[in-house]
Amino acid sequence: MPDMTQPIIQTRDLRKVFRTVKRASGGLGALRTLFSREYEDRVAVADVTMSLAAGELVGYIGPNGAGKSTTIKMLTGILVPTSGSLEVAGIVPYEHRKENGRNIGVVFGQRSQLYWDLPLQESFELLRAIYAIPRDRYRQNLKDFVDILQMDDFLRTPVRQLSLGQRMRGDFAAAMLHDPKIVYLDEPTIGLDVVAKEAIRQFIAGINAQRGTTVILTTHDLADVERLCRRIVLIDRGTIIYDGDVERIKSEYGRYRTLVLRFGQAVESPQLDGAELASVEGTTARFRFDRNVARPDLLIRQAGDRYSVEDVTIEEPELESIIRRIYVEGYAGQGAATL
Amino acid sequence: MAAGAYVEFARKAFAREATYRMEVFTLVGSLILRVYLLRSLWTALYAQNAEPPGLPLHSMITYATVALLMSLVLEVDGTRLIRERVREGTIATDLMKPISVPIYFFSDGLGQTLLHALLIVPSLLFALLLVHVDVPPPQTLAAFAFAFLLGYGVNFFINFLMNSVAFWTLETFAMQLIVRWGSDLLSGQIIPLMFFPGALGRFVFALPFAAVYSTPLLIYVGIIPASQWPRYFFIQACWLASFGLLSLWVWTAASRRIVVQGG
Repeated sequence: MPDMTQPIIQTRDLRKVFRTVKRASGGLGALRTLFSREYEDRVAVADVTMSLAAGELVGYIGPNGAGKSTTIKMLTGILVPTSGSLEVAGIVPYEHRKENGRNIGVVFGQRSQLYWDLPLQESFELLRAIYAIPRDRYRQNLKDFVDILQMDDFLRTPVRQLSLGQRMRGDFAAAMLHDPKIVYLDEPTIGLDVVAKEAIRQFIAGINAQRGTTVILTTHDLADVERLCRRIVLIDRGTIIYDGDVERIKSEYGRYRTLVLRFGQAVESPQLDGAELASVEGTTARFRFDRNVARPDLLIRQAGDRYSVEDVTIEEPELESIIRRIYVEGYAGQGAATL
Repeated sequence: MAAGAYVEFARKAFAREATYRMEVFTLVGSLILRVYLLRSLWTALYAQNAEPPGLPLHSMITYATVALLMSLVLEVDGTRLIRERVREGTIATDLMKPISVPIYFFSDGLGQTLLHALLIVPSLLFALLLVHVDVPPPQTLAAFAFAFLLGYGVNFFINFLMNSVAFWTLETFAMQLIVRWGSDLLSGQIIPLMFFPGALGRFVFALPFAAVYSTPLLIYVGIIPASQWPRYFFIQACWLASFGLLSLWVWTAASRRIVVQGG
């Protein structure tokens, strides 16, 4: 069983500043850039402090360029932080890159770690040698993954001939063969169809539940997060703006629901007490209401009394629209990081 | 870290190269063509000029043929993998594994080399249909093999250094082309370095490229006598050590400034 008392990942005031040569503009700009020594500092990650317990499955969310990948790269040991401290499974990653490599598995949705010219199976065998996985363990894991991910049909196909969905399944198995304590998943479902997405999500949920693997999931597909994570960490411009339950952020931002009514014939500016008309399109009207103030059943009865209603639906707020609002307006609820 | 992983890297590289069968056949074919062209060229040149001391025509043709066979192995740019993996950003995933990445590249290069080394046998057989190749006494052959091994090391590190430039510029093709042309001419692969006159001759012998082709070849054809072997081995070893250390230093600097593209 994973030890829940000791954090498996711990960062304190983690900071990464990239220094680039400042480019002068204008016709001779390129020439001046060649000789100038003016630098520009870009803060990619600013004082990130977070702690993960073993066995957690956390969504690490933020807009493009927010600092997600930079954080992950520091956790994997390939980037050295500018300041601050971090520890992954008791190891400082950048000081002991290779030891850290044993503890982690990585899946990038946009690039593969499989060997392009070789059959999938041979990539796996290579990984067995790289991680010195005991033969029994390797055979058992491979068998499990082939079953769960249904890889039997293409195990002997060269990776370059695989479809994206097949390749991703292969990449997942590749990342998990050596029983890593922690896996970093960077957009693992990008570009996949709904069926493949669901298969991957089930696999992630499975390894987290059955093997106790700690998972950090970076994604733009918030359906992944909704389906898998209890906790999310929101990062924007290098700073953590929210760290806590998915449910809490949903209840704070999800107070408003939408009642969609379809009338028998077009109604001009329909009215309901306790709800605000959001839009009318032909015979369909949308009302926004605060679920702490108004009760949907009463609203529906009210609508039925006033108009001839043919169809009713209530729309739940999706995490996606909530996060979109937070990106635009900033987070101001409970648990907001003080800036 | 089990050494098994590196053996496996080499085996996979071997298997990978072997999948491109067409390329393998083309390689042997073009080599045979070049043997024929060089034979005609040197025969014509020797007919028009005074024979250089110590290198009669049959030695010269032996020299040229052995040089071509060596090139089968030495022209394998085993570390082009660095360039590719830096450009595609996949070097990041390599670095996340519990392996020494430079040794990984070396093993991969070795695997490719071994496949190409196997081609020497059929190439030699075809070449023998066209030219006569002198066979020196066994101890000379052994000295040649040893010098060849040292030269292989020097060549590996020169390639490693050039491909490592990708860490800074991401694109190294133009530079590689220049160095390759330079080294083709200055390493003694095409023209024996004794044919360079005076100061220029002394200069090209002092360059590291001479350690790759010239030294083993001149041992093979007997221009470098047995008494001189240790001196030449020592020079090769010095180049090997310098380039090895330089590579180590470059690698340390490179891993410190890794920029993963699009990451």
